[in-house]
Amino acid sequence: MIDNLILGFSTAFTAENLLWCFIGVLLGTVIGLMPGLGSTTGVAILIPLTLTLEPVTALIMLAGIYYGAQYGGTITSVLISTPGEAASVVTTLDGYQMAKNGKAGSALAISAIGSFVAAIISLALLMALAPPLADLALNFGPVENLAIMILGLIIVVSFAGGALSRGLMMAAAGLLISTVGVATGFSDARFTFGNINLLGGIPFIEVMIGLFAIGEVLHQIRMGADAPIRTRFRDMVISRSELKRSAGPILRGSGIGFVLGILPGAGSTLASFMAYGIEKRVSPRKAMFGKGAIEGVAAPESANNAAANANFVPTLALGIPGGGTTAVLLGAFTIYGLQPGPRLFETQPTLIWGLLVSFFIGNVMLLVLNLPLAPVFAQMLRIPYGYLYPIILLTSFVGAYSVSNNMFSVLLVLIFGIIGWIMKELDLPMAPLVLGLVLGPLFEKALVQTSALGQGSFLILLQSPISVVVLLFAVALMVGPKIAARVAVRRSPRPTRTPISDDEREDAR
Amino acid sequence: MKSRTPLAAAGLAAVSLFALTGCGASAEPAADGAPSGNVTMVVPMGAGGGSDQSGRAIASGLEEGTGLNISVENREGGSGAVGYSYFLSQNGKSNYLLASETALLALPVTQDVEFTYEDFTPIMKLGDDYTLLVVAPDAPYDTCSDVVDAAKDERVVAAVSGATSLDEIVFTLVESDQDVEFDRVPFESGSEVLTALLGGQIDVASLNPSEVVAQLEAGDLKALCAFSEERYEYEALSDIPTAKEQGIDVAFAQYRGFIAPGGITEDQTQYWIEAGQAYEESDAYTEYIESNYLQANAVYGDEFSEYLAGNTADLEVVFAE
Repeated sequence: MIDNLILGFSTAFTAENLLWCFIGVLLGTVIGLMPGLGSTTGVAILIPLTLTLEPVTALIMLAGIYYGAQYGGTITSVLISTPGEAASVVTTLDGYQMAKNGKAGSALAISAIGSFVAAIISLALLMALAPPLADLALNFGPVENLAIMILGLIIVVSFAGGALSRGLMMAAAGLLISTVGVATGFSDARFTFGNINLLGGIPFIEVMIGLFAIGEVLHQIRMGADAPIRTRFRDMVISRSELKRSAGPILRGSGIGFVLGILPGAGSTLASFMAYGIEKRVSPRKAMFGKGAIEGVAAPESANNAAANANFVPTLALGIPGGGTTAVLLGAFTIYGLQPGPRLFETQPTLIWGLLVSFFIGNVMLLVLNLPLAPVFAQMLRIPYGYLYPIILLTSFVGAYSVSNNMFSVLLVLIFGIIGWIMKELDLPMAPLVLGLVLGPLFEKALVQTSALGQGSFLILLQSPISVVVLLFAVALMVGPKIAARVAVRRSPRPTRTPISDDEREDAR
Repeated sequence: MKSRTPLAAAGLAAVSLFALTGCGASAEPAADGAPSGNVTMVVPMGAGGGSDQSGRAIASGLEEGTGLNISVENREGGSGAVGYSYFLSQNGKSNYLLASETALLALPVTQDVEFTYEDFTPIMKLGDDYTLLVVAPDAPYDTCSDVVDAAKDERVVAAVSGATSLDEIVFTLVESDQDVEFDRVPFESGSEVLTALLGGQIDVASLNPSEVVAQLEAGDLKALCAFSEERYEYEALSDIPTAKEQGIDVAFAQYRGFIAPGGITEDQTQYWIEAGQAYEESDAYTEYIESNYLQANAVYGDEFSEYLAGNTADLEVVFAE
C-alpha cells in the first residue's frame, strides 16, 4: 500500500502531469458550467487531442475533466437555478434560494468544501478497498437494483414537504414522460407518434434546461423582475456556524454517494437526490429545506462527488464502466493501447496509482480554485437582469443544440421551458418531476429484468437478502418518523422545539 | 416493406440508384469524384461508444490518405434512427459519410423509419465483430452444445443487451437452429450484461470479444464457442472453437463500415471506395481492427450491398417471430 502510494506520488508529481492535471480540472469546471455540455461529451471530444501525450498523463487530464465538471455543475445551479450537470439538479432547490437570500458565496463555498471532503473520503476508500468493493457490488443485480429504486421513489415523497399531493403528482408526471420511446427489452415504440426523434425517449438534459433555466427566466420576466440580488461582502464568505452545520450532511452525503456510486447503474444523480431526501428527514432544521438551507446544498454536492469517484471502483477494478463518462474513459484506455480489465491493478501499477494520486492533487487544485472564486462568481448576480437573461437563454439554447446537434432538442427545451413557467405559476415542485424522469427508465428496466428473472413473480425480491434489507430500510423511512413522533409525544408532554439561534433566524429571512 | 425479398430488394436498389444518379448533380462534383470542401463523418450514436470510436478511427484514417479535412459529428437518438434519417436528408452530397453498423439493418426491420440501406451508397465494410458465448468459470458447461442440451430440459437464463442487438439475434438463431428456448433477461449494453454475468445473476451471455477479452485472460469468465465463420486468429482467442465446429450452424456478425448518401455519382462512389482501399492498406486500419478484436474482412461497394441484403434477409427471419 505504502509502496503503491509512493509510486503514485512519484508518477503524479512530475511537472508535466501536474500541469495537465490542472488543465483537466480547469476545463472540467468550465464544461460543468455549460448546461448541456456534460463531462461525457467533454471527455469524448478531447480524447483525440491527448493522443500525443503519455497514457498516464492523458488519463490524468481526462479524469480531471470528469471530476472537475462535478464542481462546475454547481455554480450555475446556485446562481441562476440552471444545473450544469444532471447531478446538480437537486442543488438548485436550496442553492438558488440561498443565492436569493444573498448567500450565494456560502452556497458555492460549501459545495466546494463538501465536494472536496467527499472526494478525499471516497478516494481513500477507493485506494484501500477497490477490488473487494467491486466484488461486493457485483452482488447487486436487477433484483437488488429494483429494491434501491423503490427506496428512491419513497424518498421522493419527502421532497414534497407540505404539499404531498403536488409532489406525487409531479413525480408521476416525470415517470409518465419517461415512458416515451423504446423500453428496455422491447422493440415497440411508445408515445412517439411516428416521430423518430422521440424513439430514444425525451432526454433528461433538455427537460432540465427547459424547466429550470427557461422556466425561471420566463417566471422572473412575468414577475417584473425585482432589482438584482444585493449582497454584502460579509455574506459572501462562509461563516463558522454554517460550516459546523454542514459537517454532518457532508459526511452522510459522502457515504450515500459512495455506496450508490459503486453500484452499477445507480449513478451520481440518484445519489444527490437520495442524499438530499435523507438529509431532509434527519435534519433538525427540516423546515428550512427548500428555503435556502445550507445542509440542502452540502449533502447532495458531497454525494454527487463521492459517487463520481466511487464510479472508478468497478471501472478500475473490474474494467466495467460505472457510468457514462467512465465508459468513455475506458474507451480511451484502449486507444492508448491499454487493456482495461480486472488485472489493471497488477499489470499497470504505475498508471493506476499515478492516476489515483492525481485525483487527490486535482481535488486540492479544485478546492483552491473554487474557494476564492466563489465570491467572484457570486458577483455575477449583480449583473442587471436585462443582460443576464439573454445570456441564460443563449447558453441554454446553444447547450441544448450541442447535446445532439439537433434542432429538435431546442424545440424540446422551449416546450419544457413553457411547462416550467406554468409549473412555477401554479407553484408545482419541479424536483420530483426530474427525479421521476431520472428514475423512470432505471425503475422500468429493473422491473422488466426482475420480472424476467423471477419468471413473472416478484417474490424473487424477498429471496435476496440484500433487497430485503433495502426494502426494510424503505419501510422504516416511511413509518419510522411517524412512530418516533408518537413515542416522543407520549414521553414528553411539553413541546420539544429547540429555540432558534440567531444564525438560523438570519437564514430564514 | 418488411416482406421484401433480397432479389426484389436488389432490383429496387438498382432502379433507385439509376433514378437517383440522374439528379445527383447538386453537389458540384469535381472531375475525379473528389468531394469539394470539408467532409463530415456522421456518427448516429453518442460520443464514446463503439460507433463513435469506429467513426473517429475511420475519419482520421481517411483524412491521412486523402488529405481532406474530415470532421466527426455525433447525431444520436432513437438507437441511431435520428442519425440515419438526418443522413437521408443529405442525399446527393458526397462530402458526407456515416459510420455504419448493424442498426442500419435492424432499424428498418423493427421500427417505422423512412430509410433502408438501399437509400444510401454502401462504401466500405471494415470488418466483422462476432460474439463469443461466455459463462462463469465454474459453470457446468464446457461447450455450446452443453448449453443447448441443458436448455432442453432446464431453465437457462441468457442476457441480451437489447431487443434488436447482436446477442439477441444470435440467441434467436441458435434457438431456431437447435429447437431450444433460452429465458431472456434484457439489458441495455454489453457492459451491463457483463456485470450481471460476473455477479451470477444470469447463466450465459453472447458478447463481443473486445468486451470480454480481459475477463477471459484473468480467468473470470470462460468462452465456450465463437459464433463466427472461422476461428479467431488473435492469440487470446484462437483456442475458442466456432459454434459450427460444435454442430450449431450459427454465425452472425455485426459489421463496422461507412456509407455515403444515396444519389451520388459513379465517380464519387469510386473516389470513396478507392480512399477506403488505401485506408485498408494503412497501419491505422490494422490498429483499429486489432485493438477492437474484429475479424478484418473488408468489402466494398456492390459487394457490401450484397452483404447488407443477405443480412437483412436473416434479420427479417429473426424478427418475424
